[in-house]
Amino acid sequence: MGMLNYIARRLLFSLALLLGVSVILFALINAIGNPIEILLAERPGVTEEIIQSVSQYYGLDGSVTDRYFTWLGNLLRLDFGTSIIYNQPVGDMLWTFGLETLKIQIPGILLALALAVGASVLAATRQYSRIDFGVISGAMLGHSLPGFFFGIILILIFSYWLGWLPSYGAYSTRNLLWDSELADGLWHMVLPVGMLAFFNTATLTLLLRSSLVDVLRQDYITAARASGLPERRVVMGHALRNAVIPVLTYLGILFGLMLGTAPVTETVFTWPGLGALYIMAIQQLDYPLIMGETMIITVMLVGATLLTDIAYVAIDPRIRLG
Amino acid sequence: MAPPLLSVEGLQVQFHTRDGIVRAVDGVDYSVGRGETLGIVGESGSGKTVSSLALLRLVPPPARIAAGRVMFEGEDLLAKPERELGAIRGRRIAMVFQNPATSLNPIYSIGSQLGEILRWHEKLDRAAAEARILSLLDLVGITDPATRLRQYPHELSGGMKQRIGIARALLCNPALLLADEPTTALDVTIQAQILDLLADLRQRLGMAMVLVTHDMGVVARMADRITVMYAGRVCETASAATLFSAPRHPYTRALLESMPRIDHRYTGPRQLLPTIAGRPPGLLNPPAGCRFAARCPEAMAECRTTLPVETVVAPGHSVSCIRHGSQGIAA
Amino acid sequence: MEGSIALAAPPRPPGIWRQGWFRFRRNRGGMLGLVLVGLVVLVALTCFLVAPYDPNDQSAMLRGASRQGPSWAHLLGTDRNGYDVLSRVLYGAPTALAVGLGAMLIASILGTIIGGIAGYVGGMVDEVLMRCAEFFLVIPVFIVILAVVRLFGIMVVGTALERVPHLNLMTIIALLGLFGWPPIARMARAEFLRLKQADFVEAAICIGATRRDILLRHILPNALPSLIVLVALGIGGAILAETMVSFLGFGDPKAVSWGQLLYFNYESLKVAPWGSVAPGVAIFVTVLGFNLLADGLTDAFNPRLRQ
Repeated sequence: MGMLNYIARRLLFSLALLLGVSVILFALINAIGNPIEILLAERPGVTEEIIQSVSQYYGLDGSVTDRYFTWLGNLLRLDFGTSIIYNQPVGDMLWTFGLETLKIQIPGILLALALAVGASVLAATRQYSRIDFGVISGAMLGHSLPGFFFGIILILIFSYWLGWLPSYGAYSTRNLLWDSELADGLWHMVLPVGMLAFFNTATLTLLLRSSLVDVLRQDYITAARASGLPERRVVMGHALRNAVIPVLTYLGILFGLMLGTAPVTETVFTWPGLGALYIMAIQQLDYPLIMGETMIITVMLVGATLLTDIAYVAIDPRIRLG
Repeated sequence: MAPPLLSVEGLQVQFHTRDGIVRAVDGVDYSVGRGETLGIVGESGSGKTVSSLALLRLVPPPARIAAGRVMFEGEDLLAKPERELGAIRGRRIAMVFQNPATSLNPIYSIGSQLGEILRWHEKLDRAAAEARILSLLDLVGITDPATRLRQYPHELSGGMKQRIGIARALLCNPALLLADEPTTALDVTIQAQILDLLADLRQRLGMAMVLVTHDMGVVARMADRITVMYAGRVCETASAATLFSAPRHPYTRALLESMPRIDHRYTGPRQLLPTIAGRPPGLLNPPAGCRFAARCPEAMAECRTTLPVETVVAPGHSVSCIRHGSQGIAA
Repeated sequence: MEGSIALAAPPRPPGIWRQGWFRFRRNRGGMLGLVLVGLVVLVALTCFLVAPYDPNDQSAMLRGASRQGPSWAHLLGTDRNGYDVLSRVLYGAPTALAVGLGAMLIASILGTIIGGIAGYVGGMVDEVLMRCAEFFLVIPVFIVILAVVRLFGIMVVGTALERVPHLNLMTIIALLGLFGWPPIARMARAEFLRLKQADFVEAAICIGATRRDILLRHILPNALPSLIVLVALGIGGAILAETMVSFLGFGDPKAVSWGQLLYFNYESLKVAPWGSVAPGVAIFVTVLGFNLLADGLTDAFNPRLRQ
């Protein structure tokens, strides 16, 4: 029962958090005044009436509190409102652009996970060796190399210099690769996924290797070896599972912030995802879009931390939530 | 005479550190017969734990086995390929560890940890493995074994965990049990229980045992023969009776004198429990000659320049001290 | 007074800082980090002497010499605005350090006070403050900062604040500081909680030390080593964050910062890659320096943590 109780309390906390974030952001957006006014102010031929009718169209008349509660009421019915610049339902846009973001983020993270496990095992089982030193140094360099700068280097090498891969976009506008949409899409994914994988691998490896080195020094590992279990089972079955425990928090954040870090990646590769959309939204003061995106990104992060807690319980029998 | 079950010859273990090579175990010899219990005694840092891990090639990096042979059932374990050694670890030679709190994997249930080993070595199916584990848990005196199977280490007491550690070692009926300070981390009353259990099991199962400890009381109670180690080398080996009645090496004697005795009254001025003055030498650049020379009440100038060689001074009694009949090599 | 106590004081054992330094010196990575950070500081202090051009000198553009490759006149070339890339990169160092130090100063003061109170007082106060920290930890900080920077930029238009130089940059620093305190608070809380029960603190209470003395002279100095590691990491992190904010176009257009350089020159990456690569390398070196430094400090102050 303790577990369900805990989850219920966490959900309440998350709800409070979401409300808090939305109120603050809503207040800030409205503190600047009527976004329509600001956006249209310097256009020629814009009269007071036009501003008023456009404002009314987007529900920007009425008091701030009224508008907030209207927005909140609609949100509860999963209606995110209408984007000002695109004149489309925000919910639909979040879905379309979100898929594009997940398309590069999820493979990037999964690839990083696989690479980091491989590199950490390789290094930690050979502590003090050249391989270990190489993995640590590489991971430290990669961890300090800003992800977006690495993306820029990738573009310079693979797009501009070698000419192998496209530097921007998710699809070719004409001349699809091999006349196949699938091949073309994958071809465009290589560089962004590569950048995300590289960057995440480095940090994950640093954490996982050091945790694994700690675990491998534990008595129960020596005991497992002394019991005659093959090294593979000792490392992958006994050590790795223990070593993952302290890294879970970071893994949770990695998944949770998938959308939150997207602006940078998607600016580098001109990728038509939520991140690029968010930049556009803040530049254009498209407040339904800003609000909707912030909500989605926060929900994602909050959900990931909750899942992390559950994962702790699933992996480590010593941990009880309550 | 039949060859002993285990004989260790010239074992050397070194730690390669940034400051140089630390000779943690520097030429150790001993042997254990079938069904015999050998006690290895020494203070912390004397290399007794590392040398027992080295038998199964389990020394952790940066330690390295630099030299020696470990003959077990006619084969040199140090020369065996990893795969073949795996069939000996846990099956023919099993270990009991010092700290029961850390020697069981915290995230697996008792049943799954023990079952994994049994299934790996004996290729038993799940049901047969479970039956075997239940009978062993019963043998090591665990109440309600069926419940324990599903429990995790953190749900058990220290004594219970050590019993499970012992059960794990016995899973495949080993010929030799290596017990490294099996009672040090336990309460005194539990210590006695565990020692009784080990003695009883040894008799019932006919195993040989190497019992590593710093506690003279423990070896006095358990061992047939005793090897005393100091600073990575063997000082003296003798039957338990001989060692306690006629110790030769000055270190052994000092150790025995520093044991509290119930028949001695430590009263009056200066009547304190005798201790050994000084500290063991650092093993980074150990002194030439006898390692104990600096603290030895009987040391002569020659002791500091001559490395004593373990020499048989009486049947079943060997000593490495040039003052007590050993040969030496000029260092 | 002199000679009233004639006893020779026993030699003082090396303190926590000296011991740390002895261990730090042996750590090659940490020393490399110290050298890199030292280099950045040196550049920041001397950039106005060593930079070949004024950072706002756009004369190359007038000569039609913008986006020129590296040459003797412009060692790292010129960018699309006609700036000398080398000079701009050098002048970016003080900006980066101001961001890193400024943000972490705010974060560490906030974090130490909040975490210290939570750990020392405990109870309900602790509960509330730590919930607060948790709140900040699950906010997607980066995107919130982007929005706030942009909105604040519009808000100040027409107010007296508009005339404050580098207001935008200061907003970013303040935000990074305001969002950066929770990890420090958590560590401070743990340390204050631990030290509160330490024998020497109990001893200080026994001899009647004031609470102020206990907090500032006994607990705080002993909590600092753990906190400093986080601060070193945080400086690198803050510099990186400012770079990303600027790279996305929400930075201070008047500040000479590496992120701004990337933002302005990214469009001409194909024709003038040096304009993007040079500031990128500068960020890399700086962040690497602080990360290595933090790593070395961890080893130096928590030797048990790693071998």
